[in-house]
Amino acid sequence: MKGKGALWTIFLAVIVLALVFVFAGSGLNFEYIIPKRLIRLAAIIVGGICVALSSIIFQTLVNNRILTPAIMGYEAVYLMWQSMLLLVLGTQGLVTIGSGGNFFISSILVLLYSWVIHRWLLGNGNNDIYRLLLVGLVLTMVISTLTQFVQLRISPGEFAVFQGLSYASFNRAQPATLLYSLVALTGVCVVGRKYLPELDVLALGRDQAMSLGVNHSKLVGLYLALIAILVAVSTSLIGPTAFLGIFVANIAYALTASRRHRLTLPTGCAIAIAIFLVAQFLVEHVFNYKTTVSILVNLVCGAYFLLLTVRVRGTL
Amino acid sequence: MITVQNLSKAYGTKTVLSAVSAGFPPGCVTSVIGPNGAGKSTLLMLMARLSEPSSGDIFFDGKPVKGIPTSEYAKRVATLRQSSDFNMRLTVGELVAFGRFPYSRGVINDNDRRVIDESIEFLSLEPLRNAYIDEISGGQRQMAFLAMTIAQQTPVLLLDEPLNNLDMKHAVQIMHALRRLCDEQGRTVVLVIHDINFAANYSDHILALKGGQIRFNGPSGETITEALLHDLYDLDFEILSSERGCVCDYFTPRSGV
Amino acid sequence: MNTPSQSEKQPIKAADGSQISGATRMRMACLFVALCVGSLLVGARQMEWSQVVLLSGDTWLTLTASRLPRMAALILTGVGLAVCGVILQHIVRNRFVEPGTSGGLDAAKLGVLVSLTLMPAMGKFSQMLFALGFCFVTSLLYVAVIRRIQFRNTALVPVIGLMYGSVLSAVAEFYAYQQNILQSMQGWLMGDFSRVVQGQYEVIYLILPIAVLAYLYAHRFTVLGMGEDMATSLGLGYAATATLGLLLVAITVSVTVITVGAIYFVGLVVPNLVVLHYGDNLKHTLPLVAVGGAALLLACDIVGRLLIFPFEVPIGLTAGFIGGAIFLVLILRGEKQ
Repeated sequence: MKGKGALWTIFLAVIVLALVFVFAGSGLNFEYIIPKRLIRLAAIIVGGICVALSSIIFQTLVNNRILTPAIMGYEAVYLMWQSMLLLVLGTQGLVTIGSGGNFFISSILVLLYSWVIHRWLLGNGNNDIYRLLLVGLVLTMVISTLTQFVQLRISPGEFAVFQGLSYASFNRAQPATLLYSLVALTGVCVVGRKYLPELDVLALGRDQAMSLGVNHSKLVGLYLALIAILVAVSTSLIGPTAFLGIFVANIAYALTASRRHRLTLPTGCAIAIAIFLVAQFLVEHVFNYKTTVSILVNLVCGAYFLLLTVRVRGTL
Repeated sequence: MITVQNLSKAYGTKTVLSAVSAGFPPGCVTSVIGPNGAGKSTLLMLMARLSEPSSGDIFFDGKPVKGIPTSEYAKRVATLRQSSDFNMRLTVGELVAFGRFPYSRGVINDNDRRVIDESIEFLSLEPLRNAYIDEISGGQRQMAFLAMTIAQQTPVLLLDEPLNNLDMKHAVQIMHALRRLCDEQGRTVVLVIHDINFAANYSDHILALKGGQIRFNGPSGETITEALLHDLYDLDFEILSSERGCVCDYFTPRSGV
Repeated sequence: MNTPSQSEKQPIKAADGSQISGATRMRMACLFVALCVGSLLVGARQMEWSQVVLLSGDTWLTLTASRLPRMAALILTGVGLAVCGVILQHIVRNRFVEPGTSGGLDAAKLGVLVSLTLMPAMGKFSQMLFALGFCFVTSLLYVAVIRRIQFRNTALVPVIGLMYGSVLSAVAEFYAYQQNILQSMQGWLMGDFSRVVQGQYEVIYLILPIAVLAYLYAHRFTVLGMGEDMATSLGLGYAATATLGLLLVAITVSVTVITVGAIYFVGLVVPNLVVLHYGDNLKHTLPLVAVGGAALLLACDIVGRLLIFPFEVPIGLTAGFIGGAIFLVLILRGEKQ
């Protein structure tokens, strides 16, 4: 079976990569270097899983393999919050709130945002997911404009801090925030797992799913909520990741030669973790922090996205 | 008038039309029939110059059409394809006026106005003239598009499955209008059609394709026979004639197996 | 179809009968003039009418050096953006497309940035050329890609465009990050008319011939909107006309980006409002689209200047909010019908 084989190969690769990441050039320093790296590794694993799950499930819901939850405006809300925070409270305020507090507030804001637009657009038996996309698109544009405006108002010093927050990075993860993220992720997995078989049916489209006896609108609402949690966690933990989800999902489909979530979801998680590991490793050891994980990932995945749209034929 | 010679079309390695040669009698309705994937629409698209043949030639009045500019060709051959993806908000009147585009390039003169009025009248669309085409029924829409094609005043009209998704009444109206275009105005109409009964009752000429090749080609009287149709569709046909026309019954196998 | 009775023939309207009534034209004209006057009156410096009449003093200087250029720039930008939007919408055959949702705007930004870093001495002219080139190539690519894909839903077309845009702006940010000009880039790329003064904005007048050309080609652009097959069978050179349209769009976008910065939604909202009431026949609606674009921008500008008087909110922000709000209403109302 191709799917299973690929799955085991990639898991093995991830374990090897993780070992290399933790121990390479550490001098086996268990007091400082290795615990630091373990925290980063944990952030990478949690973040990777969140990104992979959210994008693959999102692609199933919208029935399209070149979209990512980022277009719903979640990341835009996160960035706006960070810039507002700096405008109102300044760098000092950021310290007062603490990274844990910031993590909490940004997650809650993203959740609130998604709850509001879902309630507003998907309530009362209305389940036009494309309308949701369109509204998400408009809100993304509006919110980004606002963020841009705020960025003009803050001082260059604060802007540097903002930049740090707007690029994906594993260095700012704290053990406490990691723990909260892990709890949230576990919760999502437990709920999501229960409806995993239904997810495969949802991929057939609304009408087909309903005629197979699946409560489409309820499940879409549920999964969108789960996606919002995942995105909130991953953005607050490691920052925006834009195109990574598209890359991860499509590689997962290709490797497993399947659209069954039992296979694609774990494969996707492994791929996301592997990419983060490689990027982080390159940044640390090859580029010596002269570039960021976010830039590396964005360039590779952005290029992949362009390639994907150029190569697509037929219906999307 | 319009003839094709050794016309072939291949997409990649897949040949959809191979060495088709045929003439289309002027002033007649010719129906192109055949099973799915026979290359009917491809043939029509090539004749409309909406795609390029892999090899072979198309002639209009004996001249190869390759040398005719698009803007000139639009005064000789008008094409109507299925318009399901048409999303413009235009009134019926405005749409029909666009049929004059090859002549007017947007500046409508008195002659254009007269032709537009005639086309609308020809299909009795006057009551719908100011209705937006995205607000009328599918059958009325198809009539509006046909009116635009008529307003193009070309000697040849090509239609790709004009009856698709229409109810019986609109289908009859469209076929009747095509018949009148030939009989009253002497235009040449070529249409791809799936309904064998409409083809048999309304056309002068039948061109049957299968597997990218011509199976038979001739006046409907000679070609609508049980043997030929059986050969074309692999179905058991029984042709019942009455004074109003004929019915090709293929709905159930004859032996009742 | 209803059986038509010849007897109850309606009075025949001209075949190309105009849909826009005289009253509408009058109303639009009045609104437009009122907005122009408003735009001239509002500002940090109080104007004395007596001085205007006497053509003397500070007021006259304010008027000619700042207010009039600003108003001209506003009108031209509004016209340009709205016309651009409607042309793109016909080429792509999608109502939700404008330079901001097809990657064109981001491409132009990237172009300006590349020009600034590669040949900083060359100034506006090179910036415009780069912006134009980037925008044109991106639009061509976008249209080529969109035309090949069959979309299940029309909402996906602008979504893909927006994502194209974010790939480009990711490249731009990467570039700006290295040059350490990220923050200032955000600054001068946000739509803002306060920079528009005499001697700094004149390139925007390029929009004038473009609008005229667009009007002359209005009929062809409408035919373009019917799709390639129908356009070809009506004898229109599809590729050439679409390329011309994209070129007009690219010029307009690059001119506005280098003089006033990026402004979203104008090209989206105005054509959609016009289509709703007056249809898609550009020969008739293009003037209305143009005036509507100018009016919307003038209104957004006045709001921006009054909101935190005597300071001003950049128009990029007010247009983003007002345009975004109108567009949301359009989406939500459109679905209900």
